[in-house]
Amino acid sequence: MAATSAPAPAAARTAAAAAARTGRPRARRNPPRPRTMIIAAAAYVVALIFLLPYVEMALTALRPPRELLDAGYLPRHYAWSNFSSLWSTGIGSNLRVSLTVAGGATALVLLVATPAAYYTARRRFRGRTAFLLLVLVTQMFQPTALVVGIFGQFNQLGMIDDPTALILVNAGFNMAFAIWILNAYFGAIPRELEEAALVDGCTRLGAMFRVIIPLALPGIVTALIFTFIAAWNEFIVALTLTSTPANEPLTVGLNNFIGAYSVDWQHLFAGSVIATIPVIVLFALIERKVVSGLTAGSVK
Amino acid sequence: MSSLSNLPPRRLGRAAAPLGWLGPAIALIGFAVLWPVYEMFRISFQHYSPDGFLLGSAGFRNYTKLFQDPNFGPIMLRSLLWVGAVVGLTMLVSLGVAQLFNQRFPGRRVARWALIAPWAASVMMTAIIFRWMLDPNTGALNLLLRDLGLLSKLGTSQADWLGRPDAAFAWMIAVAVFVSVPFSTYTILAGLQTVPAEVYEAAEIDGASPSRTYLAVTLPLLRPAILVATLINVMNVFNSFPIIWEMTRGGPGYETNTSTVYMFNLKQNFIGQSASMSVVNFAVIVAMVLVFLRVSNWKKEVA
Amino acid sequence: MKQRLAAAAVLGLSATLALTACGSSSKPSSSSGGSTSGAVAIKLVAADYGTGPANSSQTYWQHVADAFHQANPNITVQVQTIDWNDLSSKVQTMIQNKQYPDILEGLTYAQYVQDGIAYKASDVLDAAALSNINPIFAKAGEVNGTEYGIPWTTSSRAMFYNKKLFTRAGISSPPTTWDQLKADAKAVAQKTGKTGFGLPLGSEEAQAESLLWFLGNGGGLTDASGKYAINSAQNIATYQYLQGLAKSGATEPDPATKNRTDLWQQFAQGDIGMINGSPALIPIIQKAGVLQSSGYGVVAVPGKTGPLTSTVGVADYVVALDKGDHRAAVKSFLDFAYSDQNQLAFDNEYDLLPATTSATNSMSGNPQFAGFVKNLGTATLYPSSQADWSTVLTAIQKQIGTAITGDPRNVLDQIQQSATAGQ
Repeated sequence: MAATSAPAPAAARTAAAAAARTGRPRARRNPPRPRTMIIAAAAYVVALIFLLPYVEMALTALRPPRELLDAGYLPRHYAWSNFSSLWSTGIGSNLRVSLTVAGGATALVLLVATPAAYYTARRRFRGRTAFLLLVLVTQMFQPTALVVGIFGQFNQLGMIDDPTALILVNAGFNMAFAIWILNAYFGAIPRELEEAALVDGCTRLGAMFRVIIPLALPGIVTALIFTFIAAWNEFIVALTLTSTPANEPLTVGLNNFIGAYSVDWQHLFAGSVIATIPVIVLFALIERKVVSGLTAGSVK
Repeated sequence: MSSLSNLPPRRLGRAAAPLGWLGPAIALIGFAVLWPVYEMFRISFQHYSPDGFLLGSAGFRNYTKLFQDPNFGPIMLRSLLWVGAVVGLTMLVSLGVAQLFNQRFPGRRVARWALIAPWAASVMMTAIIFRWMLDPNTGALNLLLRDLGLLSKLGTSQADWLGRPDAAFAWMIAVAVFVSVPFSTYTILAGLQTVPAEVYEAAEIDGASPSRTYLAVTLPLLRPAILVATLINVMNVFNSFPIIWEMTRGGPGYETNTSTVYMFNLKQNFIGQSASMSVVNFAVIVAMVLVFLRVSNWKKEVA
Repeated sequence: MKQRLAAAAVLGLSATLALTACGSSSKPSSSSGGSTSGAVAIKLVAADYGTGPANSSQTYWQHVADAFHQANPNITVQVQTIDWNDLSSKVQTMIQNKQYPDILEGLTYAQYVQDGIAYKASDVLDAAALSNINPIFAKAGEVNGTEYGIPWTTSSRAMFYNKKLFTRAGISSPPTTWDQLKADAKAVAQKTGKTGFGLPLGSEEAQAESLLWFLGNGGGLTDASGKYAINSAQNIATYQYLQGLAKSGATEPDPATKNRTDLWQQFAQGDIGMINGSPALIPIIQKAGVLQSSGYGVVAVPGKTGPLTSTVGVADYVVALDKGDHRAAVKSFLDFAYSDQNQLAFDNEYDLLPATTSATNSMSGNPQFAGFVKNLGTATLYPSSQADWSTVLTAIQKQIGTAITGDPRNVLDQIQQSATAGQ
């Protein structure tokens, strides 16, 4: 629900233009200091509320097994060894699958969405509206609702328990957002730059690679990171399409710590911390783009 | 292809050119999205044994059984409540948080980063950590409630939030709001940043109070952002699976199932009925997409 | 012209994509044995009884498979073990996929008989080995008088109690009747602040806990003729008693949502006075390190008027599935696997009980397990030979706990209804 929530096409429109406008001076006077202090305090409290569950995740990951059922906010001892012993549980292969699936889906989205977004941003052709409607509609679909069908499909293809299946599903369901955001960025790049390249003897494809893509790089990075995070966090399709522990991505693999006779909480949360930190960092990297990417378009 | 090959080469090229650029995208959509839709319909008319053995065609029996299932009505109603409550609360909270985070204060960037955590983290993991924090004997949230004097004793039914269906459902709504607020807040923040400063200056000169300015100036200008965030949230929340799955598995009984979770629960023994539940869910989603297309004025967007 | 070339290039790209999309569909099926050269590969899927990578059942079965392969070089056994939580859904996937294994261990077997894909036990196990199977459990492996499910491992249930908490609550001897149990559980709860009786009626294993209590009141899951009788008067009265027990504060809060996993852990940590358990609880107690072996006791489960004479026995079954031409290989592997040595190694590793008479006899000398072994001879089993048992099981697991808060009659009626709908 979190990372898969892609901004609406409307939101993505003219993102590049908006990005150019960030830092626009604001004409409001500085409010009196005490008010700022109160606002800051309130904002810190809100920020803390959103962080605390993840702090608790890290703290539980550090609890020695004997202290798991202690009623106290903090562990009495910190068992950093939970992180080293985590590797002996076979989590490494889950991590590898997660990286393969998220990386593969991201690469596939890049390959497929870029030409489509470029062409629809630059050309008016028959079927353009129909295509964009198709993209818009698929963006509204999520694999959750279709999971029974997805299973039936890959069952027929003999691709159960195959990471390729997860790559294709994740790419398929995240491509629409990438097309929208890239379409907006491409559309904001002045045509003249590209025409100059064409005059210089570039092919249209060449012009795309030499001129457009470098200029739209921020948008591309944003779209890619969104795709990566969504694929990294995907749960229900992976739960349905995998059947051996070594082929499960982290989201499913971590559930194996909930065993038949006992729950391995410390490793469950240690694994969660390892799975969560990279995506928070990635997300923080594009935080400003997220704001600008959502700007303007949604408020036309 | 044969009709195309009759065209003069030049026109053929022009007709095929968009396909070259869009073909991969269309192929991927067809493969990953449309094919499963077809499969889902097909399975919903088949009869499977509980262990997955295909026994033949079921006609409409999967559907009639689903509609006669005593759990079906309550579950659809609960799904409605789930979507309404989560989206409504999310939007209210987000409007407040966005207003707060739109102010200038030292450390605003870092505070905004904190807000990102629930958005970036896997919802499944967020759900498990909340389940852990609500443990009746040792959960940190229960410790906090006890220390605040809101809970008399640990290990009691009062502390066992996830053991009582009503309390469990309320907490799961809270967790769903928790993971939905960041995205909505960012959308509204984006909307707030596009409100021209002159508008506020004009309001200030007119002597409007801050609350009056908010209601009469800010909120109407935010309408598109709110609309977009609401619609996306509706879709996400309706499809939400990991929160309920990890916190209660839909229990006790079927008392905290939504239609999405029930679809997965049915799959354990009744593959055909599970597929017919998916078809019903799919119909709900298609209806929501149609509403979205109407409201969002998409033709203007793509023009 | 240039434009068309570019288009062609992208078309080429999309063709490659289409290839990647479908290319792996021809993945060789791992379970098909190459019988042409005389070498056969058979596939075994088994439940994972381990608590982590250190004692995974994968290791156990691989060991058996390797030893077997050494003795029978032309037969290879591929082993896959699956977590209990995922076992039924993953096997369901394999069946739907038509890629099921030759041998399946851990699940109910009767539905495969109905599907027509199960071998008779006598087709895949030597007559001598077959007659060595514990007769009560062998009987439960029969469908219409023919044995299909071959018990692999068994366990029986008894009541564990925490001696230290009993002493603190002033209780001199463990309860034998329901009235005593209620009084003792309340005493533990009031005097020590811990949970008196751990009652796991959540979806994980509600069927075992419920059946134990039903038996205490002369009830059960089926009647004398073997038909489901889940809403019998005895069973309804049992849940009325349990409702009172939970309301009196003698149990953990909201038993309908509590699973055995969590409550066994709490018992091992010394936080629960009494709980029903199997030998598998013993290693959990030892691992927690809070209770010494003298700190807890194991007694027969109390019934309404006296301890159960027949407790719940649980068996996990092996069933051989017909894939065409592997019967001989499957038979020689199962003949090998059912040796006393393999049986005992398995049960020692996971603190379970053997399924064969000879292995059971050699285990009855072990003081830790003697009581559990003795109970096997008179145990009451699940009606696992019913073709729809797996469906009924799900209905019980998901719903029966709500009889603690709702009207027991309604809940049990509803389960009975779904149980008999298929009959």
